[in-house]
Amino acid sequence: MGRRVRGSLPAVALLLAAVLLTMIAWGSPALAEPLRVLSWGGAYERAQRDALFTPYTEQSGTDVEVSRYAGGLDALRRAVAADEVPWDVIDMTRSQAMAACDEGLLQPLPQDLPAPAPDGTPADRDFISGAMGTCALTHTLFATVVAYRADAFPGRRPARIADLFDQQRFPGPRALQRTPAVNLEWALLASGVPREELYRLLSTPRGLTLALETLDTLGAVRWWEDGEKPVELLLDGQVVMASGYNGRFFEAMVQQGAPIEILWDGQVQEHETWVIPRHARHPQAARDFIRFATSTERLAALAGRIPYGPARESAAVQVGRHPESGVDMRLHIPTHPLNDERAIVKDEDWYARTLTRMNDYFTAWLEARETPGGKAPAAPKPAEAASDD
Amino acid sequence: MEIDAPPSPRGLLSVLRFLVLIVLGAVVGGVAALFAAGFVRGVLWLNEILLISPRSRMMFALPEWLTLTTVAVPALGGLIVGRLHQTLPERRPHTPTDAIAAVQTRRGRLPLKAGAVSAFTAMLSLGAGASVGQYGPLVHLGASLGSLGARLLRLSRSDDNITIACGVAAAIATAFNAPLAGIVFAHEVVLRHYALRAFAPIAAAALVGHVIATQALAQGALFHVAETVVPRAWEFALFVVIGGLGALLAGGYIHAILGLSRVAQRLPLRPELQPALAGALLGVAALWVPDILGMGQETLRFATIAGAFDSGELLLVLGLKVAATALCLGLGFSGGVFSPALVVGMLFGALCGTLVGGMTGISQETFVFYAVCGMVAVTAPVIGAPLTSLLIVFELTGNYALTTAALASVTLASPIAAQLFGRSLFDIQLHQRGLDLSSGRGQALLMDTRVTDYMTRECVILSPEASLDEAIASLARQRHAEAYLVDAGWRFHGCVTLAELEAARQAAGAPRRLLECRDETRPTLCAETTLWAAMALLEEVTGEALAVVDDAGLFHGVVYEVTIARAYLHQSEALRREEHDHG
Repeated sequence: MGRRVRGSLPAVALLLAAVLLTMIAWGSPALAEPLRVLSWGGAYERAQRDALFTPYTEQSGTDVEVSRYAGGLDALRRAVAADEVPWDVIDMTRSQAMAACDEGLLQPLPQDLPAPAPDGTPADRDFISGAMGTCALTHTLFATVVAYRADAFPGRRPARIADLFDQQRFPGPRALQRTPAVNLEWALLASGVPREELYRLLSTPRGLTLALETLDTLGAVRWWEDGEKPVELLLDGQVVMASGYNGRFFEAMVQQGAPIEILWDGQVQEHETWVIPRHARHPQAARDFIRFATSTERLAALAGRIPYGPARESAAVQVGRHPESGVDMRLHIPTHPLNDERAIVKDEDWYARTLTRMNDYFTAWLEARETPGGKAPAAPKPAEAASDD
Repeated sequence: MEIDAPPSPRGLLSVLRFLVLIVLGAVVGGVAALFAAGFVRGVLWLNEILLISPRSRMMFALPEWLTLTTVAVPALGGLIVGRLHQTLPERRPHTPTDAIAAVQTRRGRLPLKAGAVSAFTAMLSLGAGASVGQYGPLVHLGASLGSLGARLLRLSRSDDNITIACGVAAAIATAFNAPLAGIVFAHEVVLRHYALRAFAPIAAAALVGHVIATQALAQGALFHVAETVVPRAWEFALFVVIGGLGALLAGGYIHAILGLSRVAQRLPLRPELQPALAGALLGVAALWVPDILGMGQETLRFATIAGAFDSGELLLVLGLKVAATALCLGLGFSGGVFSPALVVGMLFGALCGTLVGGMTGISQETFVFYAVCGMVAVTAPVIGAPLTSLLIVFELTGNYALTTAALASVTLASPIAAQLFGRSLFDIQLHQRGLDLSSGRGQALLMDTRVTDYMTRECVILSPEASLDEAIASLARQRHAEAYLVDAGWRFHGCVTLAELEAARQAAGAPRRLLECRDETRPTLCAETTLWAAMALLEEVTGEALAVVDDAGLFHGVVYEVTIARAYLHQSEALRREEHDHG
């Protein structure tokens, strides 16, 4: 279907015009509605607009309306339960997508959804392994990294993720994301756990306790939820080190010339996927959009604007310079060999199954930490965590 | 007794033969490595689906069922394992001990069925969370496969020993991803001698195993150590002390396992049900301290991190791990002793590190040194392999400072444990089965050979009632100097020598009957007498032969002293050729 639409653009335009006329005549706005996309805002959304949304509108004639997403599944759960889903496509991390798929909040995607590479390589060989899930199609790999103010530590610079927890050599406030993910991994990594064993050890009460004890050594932490926040905090000088998405830091660093640098050691790579929620009003248009947005050309164009690793081989080799600044984008992509030497691949399967439990545990710890005299919660033993789910 | 054919003339043919042996070593190594990789993956897979691994437990959707599965899985696993062991002739799983015995006595020919069943039950035991090791079963599986290769190609016993060692080396090289440790282990524990003829095939096997491990297993290092500082000079003294204390702990560990085996024999429970009991007890204890379940990879990791355990927890987990391992192995689960010893040793080292840190207040940068020193101090005495333990540390960490610290520890650990307890758990077990390896292979070989193999009835047998003249005539006719007095019911009455008979005939008041002239001091042999014991008798006796007499006093035949001496020379020659020939 998708291929036919694109192959005969004038016919579609004609059809669209006819439909529009019909709708005006009937007074029903159903098909005149734009495609509603839920994405992450900021520099990321700007890059998506340039590389994906605008070209899509130009090609299909369908407008794209973007709302701001802050992660999580609560809003989606409510919307699906109420059968009133205000989005057609969601840009979601893979772990959330897996959890949502298990809960039946998403529509399964057809296996032939992504287009083959320009040289004819079938999509399933062109995409990185694990990209094509039941309900989600990975388009890019982004990384959560630590960035630091280049002027904060005269004469030395952080080189290892353990330096994030080294308040002696690198004093100053930190900003971290208000989630268990990434923070727990870094804390264990700093204790000398090899990255292959992180999730096995985080599965034990001892591992969780150890990770939180390490986090506890940090003193006052600015906890952020919105992806732009750590950049602001760093730029304002309110913190000297902050975790955040590598694309946002890149934007501030290269586009705005901010005095910050990225510590690639211990970067946590994650799949960012496209999904279609259950009860989406325009599932067909959503599938057309996903096919368009995951084509080799569009993924390379996106990576040229924001340094996230394209999920397909053919696109990764096409990444070039930033269209405006002329920066070589390949050096800023998390999957570049220089950057991902000690990268953590997030165990999304693990998070999909334990997210609620981990969140509750982490929140309890945070609250205990913030109330004076509070006591750290006991680590959730698997056998006792039944009520948490 | 089989004696190898004399070596073929040197030159092209022997070079070719040697090359074939190396290729065979590589093939055995490849097969053993594939099986080892499959075994390791099988255990991991079982741990996932049976909710033994922490990851699967944390991800399990119905956590309220975990209490049940934690007890039921090891118990049911034990039930199946116990049932399967009943199909083996000895009704017990085979272990590296059996491979060592086969090589040291030059018997070779490890039974395939016992190897296969033991490996399978070990995989089930480990998969169901029993506190046993995986390296022992891998070593025995590799040895069985190597022996099978030698049997299929109808090779000699010497070559059978080499292929057994090849299988062992490949299994260790694959499981640890440490080829040098594999080669040294095969020499240090299994062959117990160094021969160039054996080295090359074993090295080929270990190398193939290593290549397969990097391709097929791609697992993280068993204990990864990031760049560390160099310990202070005085800390090396502590490492030596840890070695000495670790040796005592190793002895306790060995005797806990042996003690539980003895208790199991008196237990009023059918042997096939005993592993199920051990599994159930283990499961109940694991509800309280989950660290003791399975091989304990996570515990091993935490023990290298300062502050992950406090000293009370270390002591608790250490004690429970020893108890759990003794329970599982003593009551008949199939598995090795090395992995639990790793955990016990690492916890012990961590305990020492924590105590030293607490007492001196020094920074915990060198904590991992203490953990690793404790580990080698316990593992090296248990498997009787100080060099292998050192090489494992070196190959897994690539850290030279850590290896020298381990060396300091093992320097004291191995001799102390050997003096107090024995060379290794394997040697103690073999001693209990009647094979003493403490004086080397030559003695073990002689102790494993029965004199009855050399018995003959080609001798002069006379009735005790015969007269002196008849006896002398008979001896002269048959050109012998000794005769054996056996009555009509084949009862043995002693032996007489020609010299004694002549002397008696010359003497005044000569006795009428042979019985009165017999040599009463001459010892006799029985069917169980070993060549070693017979050799010892030869020191006191001069004569032609020794009679073999059973418990009922019945005569079976004689063993000529010259035969005993010749057998000894043949054995020595075979050993010499196996251990010192080049090709």
